[in-house]
Amino acid sequence: MTSGTDGATGPVEGRVWRFGDDVNTDVIHPPAFYSLDPDKVRRGLFHGYDPTIARDLRPGDVFVAGRNFGCGSSRETSIRAIKLNEVGAVVAVDFARIFFRNATNNGLPCLTFARPADLELVEAGTRVVLDPVAATLTCADGTVVELVPPGEFVREIWAAGGLLNLLPTGMSAPES
Amino acid sequence: MSGRTISDIIIDAHSLDEDRSALFRRVSVDAVLGHDATTALLIDDFERRGLSIWDKSKVLLTNDHFAPPATAERADISNKFLGWARGLDMPNLMLDKGICHQLLVEHRLCQPGGLIVGADSHTIMAGAVNTCATGMGATDILFTLATGTTWLRLPPTIAVRFTGALPPESGGRDVVLELLRVLGEGGAQYRSLEFHDETSTRLPQDDRFAISNMAVEIGAKFGVFAADEVTEAHCRDRDGLGPGEPLLGTPVRPDADAGYERVIELDLTDLTARVAKPWSPGNVVPVAELEPTEITSAFLGSCASGRLADIRDAAEEVAGKRVHPNVRFVVIPASVEVFKQALRAGYVEVLTEAGAQFNHSSCGACGGIDKGVLGAADVCVSSSNRNFRGRMGHWDSRTYLASPRTVARAALRGAITPDLYREAQ
Repeated sequence: MTSGTDGATGPVEGRVWRFGDDVNTDVIHPPAFYSLDPDKVRRGLFHGYDPTIARDLRPGDVFVAGRNFGCGSSRETSIRAIKLNEVGAVVAVDFARIFFRNATNNGLPCLTFARPADLELVEAGTRVVLDPVAATLTCADGTVVELVPPGEFVREIWAAGGLLNLLPTGMSAPES
Repeated sequence: MSGRTISDIIIDAHSLDEDRSALFRRVSVDAVLGHDATTALLIDDFERRGLSIWDKSKVLLTNDHFAPPATAERADISNKFLGWARGLDMPNLMLDKGICHQLLVEHRLCQPGGLIVGADSHTIMAGAVNTCATGMGATDILFTLATGTTWLRLPPTIAVRFTGALPPESGGRDVVLELLRVLGEGGAQYRSLEFHDETSTRLPQDDRFAISNMAVEIGAKFGVFAADEVTEAHCRDRDGLGPGEPLLGTPVRPDADAGYERVIELDLTDLTARVAKPWSPGNVVPVAELEPTEITSAFLGSCASGRLADIRDAAEEVAGKRVHPNVRFVVIPASVEVFKQALRAGYVEVLTEAGAQFNHSSCGACGGIDKGVLGAADVCVSSSNRNFRGRMGHWDSRTYLASPRTVARAALRGAITPDLYREAQ
């Protein structure tokens, strides 16, 4: 099992952390923790909302949320904070577009539910296995929740370990 | 097959792909915008990879988040950003000149028909001059700085037709807050919002900036106004063009049979002042329906509403009066150019006499960064664009978003009250 980062797109295994709709970047990472110091960025994750989250997260844990996750600012410190805490992936009903780009560009898998109502099948605190490429989320009771397949271009960025690793050949056209 | 919307036309014009049906399109850009807080995040990668800038003349950089810095750590970040930009001899580095989005629309790089990306979500504001502009994160921007290109998904378009006559006490902020009430936070996610001004009163350019700016609060990728005589007059004046001279950009209007996902008509005739309650820009009610809310702080500024017309509206409201003794009223012009215009027009003196205080052109407390941040007990009425919980300071502080006129009236009253617009002033 890997955390889905560093160019790996293998399955992620961890506990579920559930969030609601319209979770914005200022809640994900309060401006006071904006910094170039990785430890300060890491500690800021959800600090105003619940300061115990960053303390209790374990590598491979998965964030599961409702609509419009990551709306707001383009500051990539929110992505850095999630990655520095070794969260394996984010699954949501849908994502705000800048957040989705930032996460994808940095190799953090963001996937959406094939059926939005399936959000209710994924309980906080339970263990899940998420396969980003197969686009499945397997719950503790064996239920397999279908996710929307990420598409060729997104998988290409994941496989490269992030957009910047596509720079030498980045002039080639992305495919649909 | 239906015709093309404005964003279809602009993306086609910038497309580098033969295949115009592709889901993701590789496009060239006309300009890139960056500020201290987001650009600082990409400098190490830029240097480690030995990259160079594809066209320095098309990059506009400024320090606006930490301007001037309030802590030693932020001074170090600011110095890192400025040192990097100076080391590259960037021709459009603007030191302490104001908020990047305002500087972009004051600059010739921002033209009708253009495609611009910036390292900040409110880059979308340039849509008010018929530019397809959108915000991205540091990694995307680094890629574009190196290549002059990016990838885009062709967005569906929602057309918004503004009709009727906007009442004089209402402004662009009330218009966009009403749109947020109708569509909700995220209601235009991944969409291009295409604005058509069909009002008899005409939306002034500064009002359009406020509307395009907050299109991102609705989740939009672009918030672009159809080019018209207001766009042209703004560009002519800014670029110093005489009546017969051609515009520097290419004004774009949609095809007559453009295919829209949805068309919304917003009749502005009866639009009254609006306010977004904590903690969402989509939590909008008419001021007249708000429960009386005492405030401790009033903020007039930010890229959403720190322009000359905004400062004029506030100055009109407070002329000869005094800000309520319980209220700290902070005004931050969006740029040094706006500040100079406000000085010449006398607005700075009027506001200062009334008890408001001016800070240097910057993002200020909008992002919880600079002087004027809120404490736990603070309640702020603000012309900024986001009232997310904890954004302007303490997690328990509360921010109400409103027009500059409402901010000024509430600052005098010491409260946002439902009768702010009912009593004779």
